[in-house]
Amino acid sequence: MFDTNITLQQFLDAIGDTLYMVGMSLLIGTIFGSILGVIIVVTRRDGILSFPIIYTILNIIINIIRSVPFIILMVAIIPLTRSIVGTSIGTNAAIVPLIIFITPFIARLVENSLLEVGPGIVEAAESMGATPFQIIRYFILPEAFGSLILSLATATISLIGATAMAGTVGGGGVGDIAIVYGYQRYDTFAMVSTIIILILFVQLIQSTGNTLARWVRRR
Amino acid sequence: MIELRGIHKVYQKKDTEVHALKGVDLTIEQGDIFGVIGYSGAGKSTLVRLVNYLEQPTEGHVIVDGAYLAEQSPNALRQIKKQIGMIFQHFNLLESKTIYKNVAMPLILAKKSKKEIHARVSELLEFVGLADKAINYPSELSGGQKQRVGIARALATNPKILLCDEATSALDPQTTQSILDLLQRVNKEYGITIMLITHEMSVIQKICNKVAVMEEGKIIEQGSVLDVFGHPKHQTSRNFVQTVVKTDIPRRIKDHLNQQDVHVLTKLEMVGEHATQPILATLMQRFELTVSAVFTNMTEIQDTTLAIWYLDIQGKEADKINALSYLEAQGVRVEEVSI
Repeated sequence: MFDTNITLQQFLDAIGDTLYMVGMSLLIGTIFGSILGVIIVVTRRDGILSFPIIYTILNIIINIIRSVPFIILMVAIIPLTRSIVGTSIGTNAAIVPLIIFITPFIARLVENSLLEVGPGIVEAAESMGATPFQIIRYFILPEAFGSLILSLATATISLIGATAMAGTVGGGGVGDIAIVYGYQRYDTFAMVSTIIILILFVQLIQSTGNTLARWVRRR
Repeated sequence: MIELRGIHKVYQKKDTEVHALKGVDLTIEQGDIFGVIGYSGAGKSTLVRLVNYLEQPTEGHVIVDGAYLAEQSPNALRQIKKQIGMIFQHFNLLESKTIYKNVAMPLILAKKSKKEIHARVSELLEFVGLADKAINYPSELSGGQKQRVGIARALATNPKILLCDEATSALDPQTTQSILDLLQRVNKEYGITIMLITHEMSVIQKICNKVAVMEEGKIIEQGSVLDVFGHPKHQTSRNFVQTVVKTDIPRRIKDHLNQQDVHVLTKLEMVGEHATQPILATLMQRFELTVSAVFTNMTEIQDTTLAIWYLDIQGKEADKINALSYLEAQGVRVEEVSI
């Protein structure tokens, strides 16, 4: 019916690869990114555990990594990737740069979300004699929860974009199909269907994020 | 209960220093409802935050219930804070949690059992009249209701002191009244010492027994509310008192008297039962003086009456002197004022 060189199986595999790469790097990136985000919020000058030196150092590191476009970052850290996963080619190899790319991004998003929680809430917590850990656990995180969900949706969408570039290092995924078949072999069907799938992914994630955030905030 | 001694507070801002408090001394006794009034920027917010050490003084001592706060370990300080409840102008409730959870929060932090928490929260919600709102969220409540939640939350750990930071400034007059009534009940029923800051003299008038007036980082006048309302010494205090008690003679009356060559009036200030004495009759019959009441004002303060009268007294000088010393003996404060 369509003039195309790719099979359905290839497509499904590619979708699986994309989900795998996004899922793994999102999971690990969220863990590190959230921790980093919390640290830069509490260590800032007026933070609840003010430690400006740590804040400044982390701030600079985050900025440096975020300055490097993903496609360059991926190539630049090949030696590191190879030392961690043993190879610089393939889906697993793509996850390393994806994590390094998304962690500082999530840290920034988390930072923004947490800073949205007004100083009044923190003041109320301190007036109750809450420990810094309790302030984060019982006050800041629950109040920022809706915003954090939206941040995570943004991060996920950003990751999907990055995985499309992971094709460059043989990472696979739907982006890879678009480049290898759609672009390099003039397979219009492959190109269009890839784009449609990416659009569907993004729509799904954003609306899920919106719904969850609204639900959390309404409660 | 609360003692502030020689407090200075300096904020470092980039290149400049902001001297927020300049040598403040203050003592709040157990059971007081102590009001601090001042215009914005006078330093009252900083002052109230010293008491639970949300702010640390640059110089001076904060002593709460015998404990010097500066000498406490972070842990000991947190324990002291649990003895001091605080409510805020903008309530500072957790929007993501129910009213029940909001009130329970200090108890959760103190790691109380679920059963204990339930009993205490139910009691508190009953006390503030919000028992039916336990499962609601703050966004579903009115401002007055939110402040009631704030009060319930502040009382959760059975504190000895309640700090109120402009607690009624975001509320309409009627709601303000109901919150003030509630604060009075907190003071009477639980015996909690209250320190409140406000820029509204009517708040002081309604519930405080003592007041301090602040201006530019200093306390310019302090004393019992009746004293300060009766004869404010400082111009700023007078301005505040004027907002609720009209003690100044209106301009038109002054002009009229001056035209009639009256330049000196006798100001009487009477408190409580003295305010209901038949003063005019006594002056006229017993001392045979001609008396006209030029201007009078009666104000309810702390369940008692403060009456201020400006009299134009004519008659023999000796009779007048006798009359005034008689009044003073009756507990009336007498003052000659030129107009």
